[in-house]
Order: sequence, then structure tokens, then C-alpha cells
Amino acid sequence: MLDFVQALIDGILYGTTYALIGIGFTLVFGVMHKINMAYASASIGAAYVALVVGGLVAGASAWLVFGLSFLLGGLFGLLVYLICFHLIPLGNENATLMSTIGMLLLVDELIAHATQGMPQNYPSTAFGEEMVRMGELSVRGDLIFVFAVSVVAMGALLALLYRTRMGLATRAVAQQPVAAQLCGIQVVKVNALTFVITGLLGGIAGALVCSAVGTLSILITGPLTVKGLIVTVIGGLGSVPGAIVAGLLVGGLENVVLYLRGVTERDLYVMLLMFAFLVFRPNGIFARGAGRD
Amino acid sequence: MDFYFGLIQIIGVHTLLGLSAYVILLTGQLSIAQAAFYAIGAYVSAMLTVLWGWHIVPALFAGAAMGAFFATLVGFPALRVRGLMLVIATLAFGEGVRLFFFNFDYQIQKGNVKVGPLGPEGFRQIRYFPENGWTTFDVMLFVWVFVILVMALIWWVDRSRYGAVLRAVGDDELAAQSVGINLTAVKVSAMTVGGGIAGLAGCLYAHYTTHIEHLGFGVLQSVFAVAYPIIGGMASVFGTLFAVIFVQGILVEGLRFLGDWRNLLFGALIIVAMVVRPTGFLDALMLKRFARWFALGRERA
Repeated sequence: MLDFVQALIDGILYGTTYALIGIGFTLVFGVMHKINMAYASASIGAAYVALVVGGLVAGASAWLVFGLSFLLGGLFGLLVYLICFHLIPLGNENATLMSTIGMLLLVDELIAHATQGMPQNYPSTAFGEEMVRMGELSVRGDLIFVFAVSVVAMGALLALLYRTRMGLATRAVAQQPVAAQLCGIQVVKVNALTFVITGLLGGIAGALVCSAVGTLSILITGPLTVKGLIVTVIGGLGSVPGAIVAGLLVGGLENVVLYLRGVTERDLYVMLLMFAFLVFRPNGIFARGAGRD
Repeated sequence: MDFYFGLIQIIGVHTLLGLSAYVILLTGQLSIAQAAFYAIGAYVSAMLTVLWGWHIVPALFAGAAMGAFFATLVGFPALRVRGLMLVIATLAFGEGVRLFFFNFDYQIQKGNVKVGPLGPEGFRQIRYFPENGWTTFDVMLFVWVFVILVMALIWWVDRSRYGAVLRAVGDDELAAQSVGINLTAVKVSAMTVGGGIAGLAGCLYAHYTTHIEHLGFGVLQSVFAVAYPIIGGMASVFGTLFAVIFVQGILVEGLRFLGDWRNLLFGALIIVAMVVRPTGFLDALMLKRFARWFALGRERA
């Protein structure tokens, strides 16, 4: 029983990174009604470039690498927007899906090329070795750090969306692009800004994932993309709170299954959870009735 | 020479895979589960020929039927979700099937070796073609018989009333529904046909490679399947064939001399292709232009 609770706690803490990736997918979907398949790859890419640039500075701390990853994530988000979305007509969903998949393959290959396919050690924060004990349970310090940073990032995002004029504009474009444009909101600017914001989140998520796993390799990007998309579906496309809850749910379930059934069946049950949601609650956790797509 | 025959086999099987996604795309649905039906077809037919000694042709049909059956099963939830939700749902289904085969063991003692699928190691010893003395050339012809059959069938269906119905649903679901088209029947039937074609492609693939494993049926394979019709354009089946030749013949094989850089160029070229021609190479406009050239030629002659 104790091990079960332990597995659940670890999973939920790690699940916050899924929530961050899920938010990235869901926010872009909410604003543009398109999926940015390159998101998780670009996030890991930002984490990698941050590692390389941070490595140039002698004695760079993990904090520098994390900060760089954050900023580079925003830059990469903007680049993905300009290359894969800006040049393609808005009504063409399949074309942007394909172009972002092309970007995904390109980023993966660039990382593989630069690292020669070797996993890179990723710096852990000062909390890496610490264990926090609560009675008989103990929690890895770095997972608590992952959790705390994710919570701060999500809080900042929610504040940005619901407390600022910029957030208001973003939500307006998500709801009704034409009406928003008529009110004088520059839709293209809002779209680009959404990519920068999701990119910043992705940069953090990428660095957090790599530091929690301990290494950076392109083997991370595939599963992260799939998990992020699953989180998006379970949370409901376009719903930020949904993505947060779904991320924790998927992280918790995954780790519990890992504990109970072993590594080969881990992802199978996550898929089953998603199918259950598709059949019984196709609009996600916080569904608002029939307005799908 | 065998190298080129092998390449033509690959192009044939990938054309089938692309066409399976093409049929579903006609109804405006994007399925990233094609590799799952491909895997089901491959495993089922290979088990039939290797474990139970079936002839290849009935095994092919059985594999295609299984692909179609599972596609129907996936097709029904597809009615509840649309557009990008369906992309993710089918993607997850595909991963689920791959993970199933990752865990799937079923071995039988044959002579002094055990044959059959063995979890992560995959399914070796699919030796139907070598055991029966087929050369690479024979296999290539065999593959292309099916490719041409399926292409002709889809080309014909595209010009029939059923093809018009498929395209009507793809262009505007609401309008199609209001003229009395049964959306459920159309979408599920398109999904079924697509699954069947992917299953058929899987059977052919399993038998010419002789060794299948779960890694060959990942998300990437599904992405390739939908990439062909999108890059090639949805106006005609020939767009898909063109895209397969472009991707497999030129990007994958033709750029081999670039070594490591080939993979880098691959993703970049897909982006460029989509930016330059967002509706695919062979879209309605291009098709009209080709038709006009042919018409001019006929007038002169």
C-alpha cells in the first residue's frame, strides 16, 4: 500500500511536465484551431541548445541552463510559427499538420546529428540528491522542484490569460477570430504571441523533463509528443485547466501502472484511459456541451 | 538489379499505404492509425502462412479483412470526434496496437525451431516467398498486381456516385447531411475500406521483408501514410503515387549519397513542399491543367 501511494505521488509530481506540454498543445489549438506537432521536439531542442550554450560558460549552474532553455523555447516557438504556420493559408489544416511534422523530424534529426545519437547528461538542480521524508514516504527533491516550477509557470500563464489585456485579446481570438479582428485586435500578432508563450512554457518543460530523467536524448521527444496529445484530449481541446488536471492524472496513472504491471504495459493503460474519455466524455474533463472542434 | 526491384516493391507497398489514407482523407478525416491496420494485416497474414501453412493469396485476403474489421471498430468512435480530435484518437489507437504487438507472444514448434511472433523481438522466419522459390522480380510483380488493382478500383470509385458522396462529406459535412447523406455510413465505410487496403499493404510488407517487429509500425509509419496523399494532392490517386515516388525514390533512396545529411533534408523538404504547395502537388487546378494539355494534344492529332 505504501509503495502504491509512493508511486502515485511520484507520478503526479512528474505529471506536471505532461501538463505543461499539454497546455502548449491546447493553447495553440484554442487560438488557431491547429495542432503544432513540433511542440515537444522544439521544447527538447530548446533544452539542448541551452545545455550547449550554458556549457560554454565555465562553471555554469543548472539555473543558467534552465533560464536559457526558457528564453530559447520562446524563440523556437516564434520560429516554428513563422516557418510552419505563417506562410500557409489559414484554412488549410492538413498542410500545417504536415509542415509541423516535417519540423518535428527536422528538429529530432538536428539533435541526433549534433549529439551523434548519444544521450547527453543533463544538469540537475541543487535539490537533485535531497530526499524529503514525510513519515514513511519519501519524495525525490528534484521531482518536488519539477512540481514547484511547473506550478509557478502555470500560475503565471493563467494570470497572463485572465488578468492582462494581452490575455483578453488571446481569448478573444480563440473565441471568434473574425469578431476579434473587427475589434481591432491584430490576429497575426496574437497568433505569433501564443507561439512565443507556449514556447516559453515548452522550454521550461523540456529542461524539467531532461533534468528529471537525468539525460537528454531524442528518444524523449516521441513519447512526450504522444503523452502531451493524450493530455490535451483528456483535458478537452482548448481547455487550459483541463490540460493541467489531465497531466496530473496521466502522470499518476502511468506510474501506478508501472508499479503494478511493469514497464511494457505502462503506456497501454494510458491509451485505454484516453479511449474511455473519448467514448464517455469526448469533450474532455471540463466539457461544456456540444461545441466541439 | 534486385536492388531496384526491391525499391519498386517498397514503392508499391507504400503506395497502398498512402491510398488507404487517401480514401479516408476524401471524407475529410485524418487517420493516424494506418500503421495499426498495416501491423494487423502483417501479423495476421504472416501467422496464417507460417504457422498454419496457408497459401499466400487467401492469407492476404484474411489480413485485409482483419484490417478492415478493426478499422470499422475504430470508425464508430470516430463519429463522436472530428477533425484534430480524431487525429489524436487514431494516433493513440495506433500506439495501442503497436504496444499490443510489443507484448504479443505466440510461438509454435515447427521442426526443430520455434516460429511465431515473440514480443519485442518480433516475428522472424516469414519465408513464404523463398520457400516457394519466388524471385525478387516475381514478388515485385505480385505486389504491383495488387497496387494496380487497388489504384484502378479507387480511381473508378472516385468517379462514381459513391466517390462524389465521399468528397461531399469531406468538403462540407453539414451540407452533405442536409441533402440526405448518411454521415455515419459514409465515414465508417471509408474507414473500413482504408483499413482493408492498409491491411493488404501489411501482408505484402510482412512477406517481402521476412521479419516484422513492432518498431516498424510506429507513429512515423502512420505519418508517412497520410503524408503521401497530402503532399501529392487530393485531386487524384496519381498524386499519392507521385508523392511516394518523390519520398521513397528521391528523398529516401536518391539522397543516400548525402549520408547523414539526408535525414536533415528530409524534414526540411516536407516543410518546403507544404509551404510551396499547401494543397499538394496534384490539386484540382493542376489536374485541370494536365487535362487541358492532353486535350490540346488530341486536337492537334
